[in-house]
Amino acid sequence: MAVFRTRHTGMIPIGMVEERTNRRPLKSPDRPRRRDIALTAGLGVFIMAVLALSGEMEAGVFLAGSLALAGLAAVYYLTALTAAEPSARPAEAGASLRPVEIDACEAMLERLPIPVLLIGPGGRIERANPSARAFLGLGAERGLLSTALRQPRVLEAVSAALRGERGAAVEYSTLAPLESHVRAFVEPIRLDVPGPMPFRAMLVLADDTSSKRAERMRADFLANASHELRTPLASLSGFLETLQGPAHDDEEARDRFLAIMKEQTERMRRLIDDLLSLSRVEMNEHVAPTGSVELNDLARDVTEALRLVAERRAITLELTLADTPAQVRGDHDQIYEVVENLVENAIKYSPDGSQVRIWVEAPRTRDGAEHMPERMDPQSGRLTLSAPPLDPDARFAVVRVRDNGPGIERRYLPRLAERFFRVDGQKSGPTAGTGLGLAIVKHIVSRHRGGFTVESAPGAGSVFSAFFMLAPAQATAPPAPPSGTGPVEQTAGAVTKV
Amino acid sequence: MTNQVKAPHIVKAFSEELEQLSADVAAMGGLAESLVSDALEAAATRDGDLAAGVVARDAQVDAMQRDIEKKIIRLLALRHPIAQDLRVCIAALKIVTDLERVGDLAKSIARRVPALNDSEPTAFAASVDRMGKLVLSHMHEVLDAYVTGETARAVAVWERDDDVDEHYNALFRELVRAMRDDHVMIGPGAHLLFIAKNLERIGDHATNIAEVIHYLVTGRELASERPRGPRPEQSA
Repeated sequence: MAVFRTRHTGMIPIGMVEERTNRRPLKSPDRPRRRDIALTAGLGVFIMAVLALSGEMEAGVFLAGSLALAGLAAVYYLTALTAAEPSARPAEAGASLRPVEIDACEAMLERLPIPVLLIGPGGRIERANPSARAFLGLGAERGLLSTALRQPRVLEAVSAALRGERGAAVEYSTLAPLESHVRAFVEPIRLDVPGPMPFRAMLVLADDTSSKRAERMRADFLANASHELRTPLASLSGFLETLQGPAHDDEEARDRFLAIMKEQTERMRRLIDDLLSLSRVEMNEHVAPTGSVELNDLARDVTEALRLVAERRAITLELTLADTPAQVRGDHDQIYEVVENLVENAIKYSPDGSQVRIWVEAPRTRDGAEHMPERMDPQSGRLTLSAPPLDPDARFAVVRVRDNGPGIERRYLPRLAERFFRVDGQKSGPTAGTGLGLAIVKHIVSRHRGGFTVESAPGAGSVFSAFFMLAPAQATAPPAPPSGTGPVEQTAGAVTKV
Repeated sequence: MTNQVKAPHIVKAFSEELEQLSADVAAMGGLAESLVSDALEAAATRDGDLAAGVVARDAQVDAMQRDIEKKIIRLLALRHPIAQDLRVCIAALKIVTDLERVGDLAKSIARRVPALNDSEPTAFAASVDRMGKLVLSHMHEVLDAYVTGETARAVAVWERDDDVDEHYNALFRELVRAMRDDHVMIGPGAHLLFIAKNLERIGDHATNIAEVIHYLVTGRELASERPRGPRPEQSA
């Protein structure tokens, strides 16, 4: 036992002990047990020595037994020693590289626009470059990978690499709240560190969302376009045949048919315009827009532009602006399209001589932005058609459009933003739309990380709201006043009757 | 000196165990999420192989649940956690139970895919897909809230379960109507009804987890019952 004691204290210099205490966080939790084992082994040798001396045990057995125990103690002693070392060695290993080269490698890694991570034993993130931090939303601390990236296949590949198995490339997608497709490359790296776990796993992530989307978009576009264009095309060819044949000399019928054919070609043109617009928006949906827009100004512009259309049917547009500026992040033309589509729809479904109200609110929390403080009707249905990931600190500016039309039945609400969806009874007639307007709105809003909601009750009309994140300078503005007051009273800004 | 070194050493080990526990729960959540997402994709793309894969992988969720439960029991027995630490253990215990149910529900959705593939595609696939994505986003948000400890996000999910119900109600009514109008729809319609119901229950498990997170972080129960709309079974 005495032998082991002297070895124990003798081999570890004082400086080393101090260094170990300084590196407390790196100590493995079960180290006291290693020392215990060394002590127990020593005790075993001592007992056997007593037995051998008293003649109870043969010298050969004593020698073999004590050698085995000494070996065991030495192994544990070594692992205890190396467990403290990994932090000390890499610095020595790095010494072979010149500091300038290390700096250059560091700088390259820091500036690489591709997320790169180094995962250590136990799945702990040892390093992550800034784009990885941004991509996974990591904090400053060295967290565990599975809390940052919950993808089972990536986690499996990483733990295989940590065991020293071959690297792998795995794909994963998240469908909600934001769609993304990512390819993850995992490679084991053997570091020159002593100890039982020399392997680290390098994880490189490649965002594949745009190409996947483009692929699917093309297929969708073809399917949608061919399906929706077939009906007007069939009707056109039917009328053409009639004009060539039976109605060839019937002047009255010819004029009537030509008028219908003109209407159908108009419809096809609108459809193609909308489809192109929709796929343009969809293509860029995961690319956040740059630029900023003043929502008050924009709502005023849209209202002015649609005044003539409304006046033709004696519909008044009442515009209420927010009394605070509402500078939102976004693409001007696309947000214009959103507000224009909403106001156009409201005009389309309002009875002649009624009123359409448009108002802007800012700043609002997510809850305040989604719906009006009070329901328009006790029986009204409310639904969020598109919404950004939840962020309690985000503040939004909202534009709401309210009509006094027939309202929408509750069971249709979830399908409103579906492409080509038209509520029963709107499928034909002069007001027939392409069924793409609200789908376009939804995709634009989703690209802006904004939200799009509807509230409607049959007989009471509908309110559509679109909200966008306020530009950073304003996002820190004080939160909205307590809810409970009506929207118009809250936004006691300038009321402009148009 | 020895005590000064030792005291934080042991707590450190314990806090690492707790951290590892949360990471395990998050990983299990990720697996449950991927099962739901794959089950939905299998239903949308009529992919029987993917569906079979989901059914097979549910066993992994069950295994993870048992594994995590063992770890929790070990923690409780060895460390006697109190206050926040105790809540971490209890919350993990509750969350894995919910996640295991989510895995079962995903499996149940996947089991219906072959039956749906036997009939013609219906117009309701888009509605199911939309509802599924909403439920998935709730799962995702609530698990994010778990790892970051953001109660506000958990509560926001809890409040928005109404949206899931609204989707479910709409789909329920449309399906019942379609099955009444066209008898051919009864077969696929029944399967779609069950899929919708399973999704709605996954949404409920997400709100359960949100409640647990609120308890975990604040130590208080989330106030009373969630406001609920009328059930569709009564009004359809």
